Amino acid sequence: MMQESTTNSSFRLAAWKWAAMIILIFVFIAGWIVPLKPGIIKVTPDRAVAGEMIVVDVVGYNSFYLTDTTKLRAWLRLAGDTVIQAHHIQAWDDRNLAASFYIPSVFPVRQEAYPLTLVLDHGSEGTSILPNAIFITPASEQDTAEMKLWFRDKIEHVHEKAGIQYPFRNILSETIRNTYFHVPMWFCMIILFGVSAWYSLQYYRNGDIDFDRRSVAFIKVGLVFGVLGMVTGMLWAKNTWNAYWSWDVKQNMSAISLLIYAALMVMRSSVEDEMQKARLTAGYNMFAFVLLIPLLFIIPRMTDSLHPGNGGNPALGGEDLDNTMRMVFYPAVIGFILLGLWISQLVYRTDKLKGNL
Amino acid sequence: MSIKTILTFLLLMILQTAHAEGESTPDFIRSIGKIYVVAGVCLIILITLFIYMIRLDRKISRIEKRQKNEY
Repeated sequence: MMQESTTNSSFRLAAWKWAAMIILIFVFIAGWIVPLKPGIIKVTPDRAVAGEMIVVDVVGYNSFYLTDTTKLRAWLRLAGDTVIQAHHIQAWDDRNLAASFYIPSVFPVRQEAYPLTLVLDHGSEGTSILPNAIFITPASEQDTAEMKLWFRDKIEHVHEKAGIQYPFRNILSETIRNTYFHVPMWFCMIILFGVSAWYSLQYYRNGDIDFDRRSVAFIKVGLVFGVLGMVTGMLWAKNTWNAYWSWDVKQNMSAISLLIYAALMVMRSSVEDEMQKARLTAGYNMFAFVLLIPLLFIIPRMTDSLHPGNGGNPALGGEDLDNTMRMVFYPAVIGFILLGLWISQLVYRTDKLKGNL
Repeated sequence: MSIKTILTFLLLMILQTAHAEGESTPDFIRSIGKIYVVAGVCLIILITLFIYMIRLDRKISRIEKRQKNEY
């Protein structure tokens, strides 16, 4: 049963298995050592009244404000080119600075409160942004002559930090690295379930019990990856959304799809006759894979989800995955899929040995 | 037995981190830009896959033993 050629050397493996290992080692190293771009964590005070001079304290992340303080510039942005530049910036240390702004008493648009975005630019460290950093309430006395102050300054000649970094996103910050560990779990699960459904189809066409064994092995490992995706997602959700489970549409639909496959395994164990078991599994399995498509790809896109990469969270924008991240994300997906296929193959070979004894 | 021990340990660890992050205490897992969440995610993935591989290894050993007895 065992292939004799593989026993000659313990390191003789198929090329794609080596690829899986090398890719995953790259992913774990690159996923951990590449730093984030500088960002802004906190601005105090977070509210102020218009028509006054205000001094805001800024706390940065991965920032180096002392590197060259003359290159620091700051703006408060209302919208587009409607900005106010800081009069003076004082950097206390690499992570703390104070900036003073004069907020004009009139605004080009009329609102109850004006959320302003803080934009910080440094000659060598690049730009960092905090959306809705400070809320301005309208002044009691309005001087229309101050309107032109909003259009005097422009955000221009901003810098990009040199070198390889992952983007800094508020809310996410370092957990943006989970893109390389949590997300590929789901990709891998879907591929494994797809392969399994394909083997089920082959079983229907040929009636060979070996295809049943293959499809079940892939479901077993696919379930492991699915549960991993769910548990890692819950750990992240606890520390970001403050609850392990917040009934987000993505959480619900992935739970349903896992339950469908868990039910398949339970159903299988309750049937005694081998042929009947195989036939039921094949039918159910193909049906379950077809169900995955609306559950994982259609319904979450029809409603708002808090999940990064989805609509409904303006702070995340469309840049959750930039080109630097793609250089690690795609290998991560390929690496984990290869690993999943590898483990499934081992499970299949084990089950086959067990069946033949 | 050892798998059960590891699983219990893992569960306790997770429960403890969940417990430790009360409202008032400065919370460790969310410090330094929530990097410990990433550490936790990596650990969960690696430990689970290793446990799975160990179980598979034992299954194969059992089959090998049975095979030897048959000859």
